[in-house]
Amino acid sequence: MKRRNFLLLGSMLGVSPYLHAKPSSSFERSFKKVERTIAAVQEHMFPAGSKIPSAQSMNTLQFLFDTVNHKSYDKDIRKFVIEGAEELIEREKGLFSSMNTQQKEKALRTYEESNYGSNWLSRIMTLTMEGIFSDPVYGSNKKEAGWKALNAYGGMPRPKTRYIEL
Amino acid sequence: MTSRMYDVVVIGSGASGGAVAHTLTHAGYKVAVLEKGRLIKREEFTKDELAYCRRDIVTPNLFDEYHVIEEKVEGKWEGTPTYDSGWSFWNGNVVGGSSNFMSGMLHRMHPDDFRLKSKYGEIKGANVVDWPISYDELEPYYLKAEELVGISGKYEKHPFEPPRSTADFTQPPTQENAVVKLLDKSCENLNIKSLVTPRSVLSQDKGDRKACYYSNFCGSYGCSSGAKGSSREALLMPALATGNLTLMSNTYVKSLHTSKKEAVDYAVVVNTLTGKEEHIYANLFVVAAQAHESARLLLNSSNTLHPNGLANSSGELGKNLIFSAGGSGQGELHADDLKEIKFEELMQTGLFVNRSILDWYFVDHWWDGTFKGGSVEFMFEHQNIISRAGKNNEEEGKLVWGTALGEKLTERFMKQKSIRFEIFNDWLPNDNCFVSLDKTHKDKYGMPVGKLRVEAHPQDLKVGKYIAKKCEKVLEEMGAQNVYSSVSSSPPQNLIAGGCRFGDDPKTSVLNKHCQAHEVPNLFVADASFMPTGGSVPYTWTIYANAFRVADHIVKVLKEKQI
Repeated sequence: MKRRNFLLLGSMLGVSPYLHAKPSSSFERSFKKVERTIAAVQEHMFPAGSKIPSAQSMNTLQFLFDTVNHKSYDKDIRKFVIEGAEELIEREKGLFSSMNTQQKEKALRTYEESNYGSNWLSRIMTLTMEGIFSDPVYGSNKKEAGWKALNAYGGMPRPKTRYIEL
Repeated sequence: MTSRMYDVVVIGSGASGGAVAHTLTHAGYKVAVLEKGRLIKREEFTKDELAYCRRDIVTPNLFDEYHVIEEKVEGKWEGTPTYDSGWSFWNGNVVGGSSNFMSGMLHRMHPDDFRLKSKYGEIKGANVVDWPISYDELEPYYLKAEELVGISGKYEKHPFEPPRSTADFTQPPTQENAVVKLLDKSCENLNIKSLVTPRSVLSQDKGDRKACYYSNFCGSYGCSSGAKGSSREALLMPALATGNLTLMSNTYVKSLHTSKKEAVDYAVVVNTLTGKEEHIYANLFVVAAQAHESARLLLNSSNTLHPNGLANSSGELGKNLIFSAGGSGQGELHADDLKEIKFEELMQTGLFVNRSILDWYFVDHWWDGTFKGGSVEFMFEHQNIISRAGKNNEEEGKLVWGTALGEKLTERFMKQKSIRFEIFNDWLPNDNCFVSLDKTHKDKYGMPVGKLRVEAHPQDLKVGKYIAKKCEKVLEEMGAQNVYSSVSSSPPQNLIAGGCRFGDDPKTSVLNKHCQAHEVPNLFVADASFMPTGGSVPYTWTIYANAFRVADHIVKVLKEKQI
């Protein structure tokens, strides 16, 4: 399966105008419009009170933005991150981030039933896990809390610089 | 446009390019190694999982440089650019190539691998031929690679262990996790012989290369002590010290130019940072760009003298590309029912498993039949944290999240450890596995990209599945839970050979037995392209050994002024 087809399969909105926009500053603008929703999804997936650190305490939204915004990141997936969030907002009539936990669970499990939703949720989870379990230099695995929770630690030598700054 | 002149130009700095450069510079020749990627020094490598394992910092961005992969879909060949599939066929495009990132589990090929057709006869649908050289001719170079690159191990007699001219390895094996006690005992119970895996990782200091420090993150990462026997550490650094090597990183070779049929004059190169084009002249050229890219470069060097690609009057260039067939399997060793060893010992990080099985390398069984089999390596599941977490976030097709995810991950990381096996068997050369030039797709330098058709022979799957069943029994005997294996015809993109077969007949091969182009005497191909069949072990030791052999011949050619 070709990746673009795979990513777009089953989208209700189809190809958004964002597809034709220029990177970086326009990405930042688009991201601003969906960041509350993405953060709410991350917090639902990685809540407080779990055996692994919560999304909120690890500042995973910033990690996700820095990663996806970087020029080396796959441009198709960059678009997909925004579009999938727009789709969720549309499906839930803009109410997702203000829902209670049970409502969020129902909304995300329903979204997951479509290939498109399932792919997008999987992508958000991956981008969140990458933050929590990568080297603390990336800003999200604060005080190695992610590693401590699993008793699994990165090897030596550790990076002093993020690859996105090289 | 500028130009420079050398005795020898080597294109590619991986295992074979490094071996050639090492030999020639030590023999006093002025050599330029042209490498597309950048130089990452020992002290710059880190164990940054995000950077090295999840982003393309050591391989090109697939939107800039890519391949087209042709697979059969509903009976028709369908080509998909790798920027579309995400299935990269690049392997470590930095100085030292993919040898920087190998796990280093190495074996010599068996003497019968050099005469597979004579030993097993024709296989329908497969283009199996004997090699034009024997194991005996390569043995001294296997030994040279072992000593110079630094392969640690312990020789044990076994019917399928190739003979060696010295009693044992110069370096003892790297330290091993206690799980080997359980593995050895389990194999013994099943009447299987487990052997110590030779590994191109130093267990003791060697010059300025320090012994392994057991970082727990070896394969897929560069080595920070110099223990891993990469081309960069073991060969290029000593070659640079001779003063005879010019290492040109960030240098992409577009084509080789011939103004008369029998000789390459210069390489047309582009500096990947400045975009500046240059001609690099030499008396002799050695292509060592990794099999699929070496064939592509020669195809991209066609002109009126060589209309079908450089040194391709046989029409064999790019044909009979091979990978390594086989597959892998895995099982979980749990804290609550672990045998023979303590759980704390199992969980000790960094130490190697270092075990192989060669019992099924050649199968001759009253019921199963007589056929060429393969080898098996055992190792722990890769210890990368993000990827292990990512593999454990699903149940019955649904993502696991919330507190259930925390439970699942802590259980997975702290109460069990997974042990794996990998099977290596022959990828039979066949008419539907080759590299050609794509007619429409070009890379960012304007050169046609390689199009790889990648069909496997049905026998490859049969052999892989036969061995996988045996290995599953080993894991079960160890007490592993949830044992599974996966053998597929999908090619492993890091184990590529063939495409420029060597042979005695110029009508059926691209190279002669010295890996010199039949029709262009100052052109050699030193990487795994030469291999008509691949053996049933990882290629790297054979690549090192053969490149040392080729380099010795090049020295002879240069000394005797044969070109």
